[in-house]
Amino acid sequence: MAYDKKHKEAIPPAEQHHAHSEEHFREKHLMLDPLPRGQMNDMVMESMTEPPTWKFWLVFAILSVIVAYGLFYSWARLILEGVGIAGVNRPAYWGIFLVNTVFWIGISHAGTFISAILRVFRAEFRRPFTRAAELMTTFGLVQAGFSIFMHMGRVWLAYWLMPYPNERMLWPNLHSPLSWDLLAITTYLLSSTMYLFLPLIPDLAMARDKSTGWRKTFYKTLALGFRGTEGEWAHLRNAMNIFAFAIIPVMFSVHTIVSWDFAAATRPGWNSTIFGPYFVVGALHSGMGAVIVVLAIIRATMKNMKYFIRPEHFDAIGKLMLIISMAWAYFFFNDYMVQWYGGDKWTKQLLHFHEAGPLGWMWFAMLIFNVVIPWAILWNPKWRSLPWLVSIVGILINVGMWFERYIIIPISLTINRMPFTWRMYTPGIEIPLGIGTLAFFALLYMVASKLIPLIPVWEVQEGQMAHKLTKYGRETVVTVSELE
Amino acid sequence: MADTINLLAVFSDLEPAADAIDQLRALGLSDENLNIISGIPVTEAMLGRPNAWSNVPRIAFGGAVLGMFAGIFLAFVTPYWYPYPIQVSSQAYVPGPPSVVVLFELTMLGMLLSTFLGVFLDSFFPNYRPMEYVKEVSDGKIAVFFTCPTESKEKFTKAMTALGAEKVEVAEAEQL
Repeated sequence: MAYDKKHKEAIPPAEQHHAHSEEHFREKHLMLDPLPRGQMNDMVMESMTEPPTWKFWLVFAILSVIVAYGLFYSWARLILEGVGIAGVNRPAYWGIFLVNTVFWIGISHAGTFISAILRVFRAEFRRPFTRAAELMTTFGLVQAGFSIFMHMGRVWLAYWLMPYPNERMLWPNLHSPLSWDLLAITTYLLSSTMYLFLPLIPDLAMARDKSTGWRKTFYKTLALGFRGTEGEWAHLRNAMNIFAFAIIPVMFSVHTIVSWDFAAATRPGWNSTIFGPYFVVGALHSGMGAVIVVLAIIRATMKNMKYFIRPEHFDAIGKLMLIISMAWAYFFFNDYMVQWYGGDKWTKQLLHFHEAGPLGWMWFAMLIFNVVIPWAILWNPKWRSLPWLVSIVGILINVGMWFERYIIIPISLTINRMPFTWRMYTPGIEIPLGIGTLAFFALLYMVASKLIPLIPVWEVQEGQMAHKLTKYGRETVVTVSELE
Repeated sequence: MADTINLLAVFSDLEPAADAIDQLRALGLSDENLNIISGIPVTEAMLGRPNAWSNVPRIAFGGAVLGMFAGIFLAFVTPYWYPYPIQVSSQAYVPGPPSVVVLFELTMLGMLLSTFLGVFLDSFFPNYRPMEYVKEVSDGKIAVFFTCPTESKEKFTKAMTALGAEKVEVAEAEQL
């Protein structure tokens, strides 16, 4: 809406204030700046179908090379030559493969957090980026699965994890957290993929109606014949409500079970009753950091995304990141304090090794990246609304959280109750494989951005219908109706 | 039974669509003869329509029960089922807390899988047959789909147009 100075002079001061507020709100809030649905559809379609630039192809080619070398070639070497080419050895039998597994499962928590928890609590700012976060969940879990299979070494025997009658008369030990991992990660991968797909159906139907050629066939197949009848919406609404509530405990269970892989062992540094919530909060910390990076990239590189993803969204996620950072600091200190106070000889040795050992810089960097920097920057509303700045914070949080997992796994395994076995872990083939998973995640996302509507247009429109400006006295405020 | 015809009236907004539904009722059509096609989830209350029946919650519940039975089987039956029971520390063959984990995960898996399946079953997905549809729905229009006697076509068309329908056309099934 153009705001005209002449018009401003003609209207009374109170009205001027209202008009000014309205303009201000429209600029600031997507929900108060509606466009016709057809125009929003066209904007989203354009962002997917515009011919990729040379920069896109360059990044695509670089990532493809990294994936080919880091993931496929290196994994083939690992399979052919055996896990001896990895750095894991006595006493650190768990290395970067499991660090990456925990890291990627952590990343995957952001999608469910944003899509399910914020949906349940009706946090309206979630609407334009739920899908971008859900995609992270699915693609992150794929990398987590890869990392576990790499750790397994003889990956072709992965099916031994499954409980099925067999001639060896062997059965998986269902008392083991490692078996629970299989159940929890499988449940989470399947449910988060289904939860990604259900709200996508109406947008796929929109894309079907607006495309031709191979895209038409693609979207038509995936849209499953959705038209938007009352019945279809009712079934979808019911299913999404069930998913939103049910997937939250599943999400919590996944990272809690991952934490039990460590906490259930009576090892110094691991045997902690607080590891479950500590891991869950850590997962949310890295997940939210990753979401903000992805949103900043989408906003900067994809056409029309500045309309849908605005500084208000970075501000809202920034607040969440700040709160989660505080929660992480609380759990970290709680875990540290109790271990330190316990006075166990080996635990003390381990804590000293964390802080003053050869990788002590990693311990301090973890605290700086996870606590100091987020607190120093995210308290300021102006700073946390700057996409480039919060995305740097997001990257640093992810580096810090990766360090945290590295400290918990291979560094903590270095110090145990048998000093004659102490030995530093030095990664080998894990490094290209880890970089390969990171590149594969980015590559999957790039491909998805050209095939899947990253903005759930119908959810945005629904939100815009529910929001309006109301005047109370001289104050103009945003009011939201409960339409769902 | 008199010959009937399917018509689609396209509205740009909710208000006229709700008025059109009232008008169609006043003209003698029952709710079973009407359907609304929209690009956003318009609730039944907004259009004064009866609640749409959905089996999804029941199917989800059934799936949860099946999942729980699968969990019971894994946690409580299989430890005695094979010849080499696993003794973990001083735990019983069927220990309580680990069994809770197995039960929880399989119950949730059963519930979520069946919820997903429920949408497919209730909505008859996938359905690639020709269907009555207008593409404007994707762009935010509300389509009122109704079946009326063929001889009253003009009367219904006029009534819909008078209420602001952008177009009223015979609904023919087409490939989506």
